[in-house]
Amino acid sequence: MGEDVRPDEAARALDEVRRGQARVIDATMIPSWFYGVVGASNVALAVGLDIGRPVAIATGAVLFGLGIVGSVGWVAVGAQRAQLRNELLGPLGILAIVALPALVVGVSVPVAFAAEAAGWGYPATAGTLIGFVLMVICGPVLNRLLRRIMLANRTGSRLGAP
Amino acid sequence: MTEPKFNELIHAPTRLSIVSLLAATEWSDFKFIRDNLGMSDSALSKQLTTLEEAGYVEIRKGFVGKRPRTSVRLNRAGRAAFERHVAALQEIVARSGASVIPSR
Repeated sequence: MGEDVRPDEAARALDEVRRGQARVIDATMIPSWFYGVVGASNVALAVGLDIGRPVAIATGAVLFGLGIVGSVGWVAVGAQRAQLRNELLGPLGILAIVALPALVVGVSVPVAFAAEAAGWGYPATAGTLIGFVLMVICGPVLNRLLRRIMLANRTGSRLGAP
Repeated sequence: MTEPKFNELIHAPTRLSIVSLLAATEWSDFKFIRDNLGMSDSALSKQLTTLEEAGYVEIRKGFVGKRPRTSVRLNRAGRAAFERHVAALQEIVARSGASVIPSR
C-alpha cells in the first residue's frame, strides 16, 4: 500500500498535516493581551497600596481581582477545548515560560526597593509599572518563541523532512 | 527512527486532518475538533468511530457541571501509526527527489 500515492499527493498530505498542527497550536496559544491585562492589574493594586487610603486600596484590589480573574478565567476556559502535548514545548519552551515571570520579578522588585530607598512616594507603582512594560513587550515575544518551538517539534518536523 | 508505513485508513483526507490535530494535543474537545476542521457533528462522529474501531483513538464522554462533554485522545497505537504514516509520506516525497518545506 502507498505505492500508488504520487509524490505531489504525498507532499500535499504532509503540508496538510503541518498546517493542521499549526492551526491547533495557534488556536490554543495564550493571547498577547493576556500579559498586558495581568501587568495592568498588578499596577492597579500597587497604586492603591501606595496611596494607602482604604478607598484606593479597595478600588485597586477590585481592579486587580477583576483583571486576574477575567484574564486567567478566559485562558482557563480556552484550555478546556484542547491541551497541547507537553512534548511540543520541550525543555527550551519550559525554560522560556519560566524566564518571563523570573525577569519581571527580577527587575520590578529591585526597582520598587530602589524607588523606596530614594524616597519616592510610589515604590510599588514604580516596580509594577516596569513589570507591566516588560510583560507588554516580552509577552508577545514569548508567544512567538513558543510558537516557533512548537512548530519545530510537531510531528512532521520532528521526523525530519527529507 | 520511525519505520515508514503507509496507512490507508489515516490517509483519507478528513481522517488525516483529524489525526493531525489530535497528534498535536494530549486530548481535544469534540467541539474544538469540529469547529477547527469545519465539520458537522455527524460527519465528525462517523470519522471518530472509524478511528476508534481501528484502535487509534479513545473517546471519553463526561459532564462539566451539567453540560455534556466529549473529549478525544489519540492513543499510543494511533500516534505510532500516524508517525509511521508521516514517515512513509516523507519517504515517497524523498524518493521523487523533491523536498518538502515545512509550512508555517
